[in-house]
Amino acid sequence: MKSRLASLVLLIAAIVVLALLPALVNNYWLRIATGALMWAGLACSWNMLGGYAGYINFGQSAFFGLGAYTSALLMGDPLGLPFFATIPAGIVVTAIFAIIIGAPTLRLRGAYFAIATWAFAEVLTQFVNVVGFTGGIGGLNLPPFLDERFFYFTMFAAAVLTYLVTWALFERSRFGLKVKALRDHEPAAEAMGINTALVKLQTFVLSAVTASVFGSIFAYWVTFINPKSVFGGDITDQMVVMVLLGGLGSLWGPAIGGVGLFVINRLLWMNWGDTAFYIAILGAAIVLVVLFLPNGIAGLFAKRPAESATVLDKAVDKLVGNGEGGHS
Amino acid sequence: MDLFLQTLLNGLLIGGVIATFTIGFQLTFGVLHVIDFAVGGWVVLGGYLAYYMAAELGLDGFLAIPVAFVLFGVIGYLIGPVLYNVRNSRTARPELMALALTFGLFTLLRGGMLTAWGFNTHSVPTALSGESLSIGPVIVPLIRVAAAAFAVAIAGGLFVFLYRTRYGLAIRATAESRQNAALMGVNIHRLSANVYGLYAGITAMAGVLMGAIYSVNPEVGLRYTLFAFFVAVLAGLGSVGGALVAALLLGVIEAFVSTYVGSSYSLLAIFATLFLVLLVSPRGILQRGL
Repeated sequence: MKSRLASLVLLIAAIVVLALLPALVNNYWLRIATGALMWAGLACSWNMLGGYAGYINFGQSAFFGLGAYTSALLMGDPLGLPFFATIPAGIVVTAIFAIIIGAPTLRLRGAYFAIATWAFAEVLTQFVNVVGFTGGIGGLNLPPFLDERFFYFTMFAAAVLTYLVTWALFERSRFGLKVKALRDHEPAAEAMGINTALVKLQTFVLSAVTASVFGSIFAYWVTFINPKSVFGGDITDQMVVMVLLGGLGSLWGPAIGGVGLFVINRLLWMNWGDTAFYIAILGAAIVLVVLFLPNGIAGLFAKRPAESATVLDKAVDKLVGNGEGGHS
Repeated sequence: MDLFLQTLLNGLLIGGVIATFTIGFQLTFGVLHVIDFAVGGWVVLGGYLAYYMAAELGLDGFLAIPVAFVLFGVIGYLIGPVLYNVRNSRTARPELMALALTFGLFTLLRGGMLTAWGFNTHSVPTALSGESLSIGPVIVPLIRVAAAAFAVAIAGGLFVFLYRTRYGLAIRATAESRQNAALMGVNIHRLSANVYGLYAGITAMAGVLMGAIYSVNPEVGLRYTLFAFFVAVLAGLGSVGGALVAALLLGVIEAFVSTYVGSSYSLLAIFATLFLVLLVSPRGILQRGL
């Protein structure tokens, strides 16, 4: 009870500091803070499916890009819709894509799903590169709007909402239990009467839609997008690293990983410019985390060891007689 | 018609080279149960080795082939046990952790190569570069013929090794059932290291050939990883025989799309095919399944 109160105080303090931040720092650091909030949100979106449901999505950048491109196209010349009208549009477009993609691919087991999502993102990138209306490799311009505070608060609201939804849905509801159950043992979850196909699809769509909202805000914020900047595989790479670093399947892990890694990225950028070295650091971070810190930074603070599926797995394997005793 | 034949032949020749590393990729999956994202990284490293041997020491690109096999064989032999340990660790999701590990390895290789060698594209000079062979109306670059011949030799050797030796039998048994193979006295841990070493060595050799045919830069690794995935999905993960067929098919598809539609569409076509196959028949067209 005491520690719960402490963390609540910490949370409120963090929110107050974040809300007052524009008054405390200059525009340069405010931009960095905006970016950090975006990455914390994106990492959380990836964690919904990757951490809670146990399905690795190597194509999350596709949904970020869909949101960005939907906003850019709708705010562009013929229509010129207001920004906040394009966010729901992006959500609808992304949800449609996610259902079309997710319904068949979520039947695939882990590795195949990872390949399928990766292939989907690449198809979409190549498609945006070659068709005309997206501006091809040249990209699209958005009407410039240069108010750093507006973007900071928009991103802040989106991030808070993302974490609130994640907390309510995955940590505090029956839905979250269903998702975790199917992650830990899908056949067992199904045998309990959980419609795993539906639950997986719902999680996937939620995760995709969240990324799309950040894509919309990002596009308006940077006022210029091209396939590489919003569909690039590096975007997914970063989300994966942030979640692994912070802690797969924990609520605060993605925030820790997202903010931490983004700040490191900016510091590197300030000192050495746009460097390929960062990619190497990302790679090394993944390898080291997998080898030495499989539960991420959040795992270090967990009071009891993070819930491990192996006990349940072994028990159920014994019952259903899963020949290899593995997870295949 | 001439163009058609030429495209077909080019595709088959490239497919042969692709087959060498995808067979290794399948073998690794069969034994280690790990999907190796890093496959493209080994291909590119092989190409760079050949480039630097040619540029710094003035050696012919082909001389890099045995060096690549030994060097990356040793590196693979050292990495194999790490992969094995992660895949069989007691963490919550060893399958995803192993996938993440190879993904991290691939990112590390790509970032390291970009940092060390930059974004420039290099070609690997060989004695056969620029020469070509004409069979009737069809003109084929000699380097592609040589590379394909070499690839066929490697693949043939691998098949003989797998199907005609006791150690090959142990590898196949392990791929079929790890538990039973272990009970029959196969040292799975050491076998995993050997298989990953063999695979990394072969893949780097294929990289030398790919570097001589096309050119090499750190970003093309992704393309080869995609090739391996494509073949794995078409053939069914772990299927070694199917990999040969699927690799040839991939070479032909790529050649035809590049020639008749445009090379910027070839990746789109490959990804789209891959994606459709996954939807229609997730266990591979040439089914053997897991």
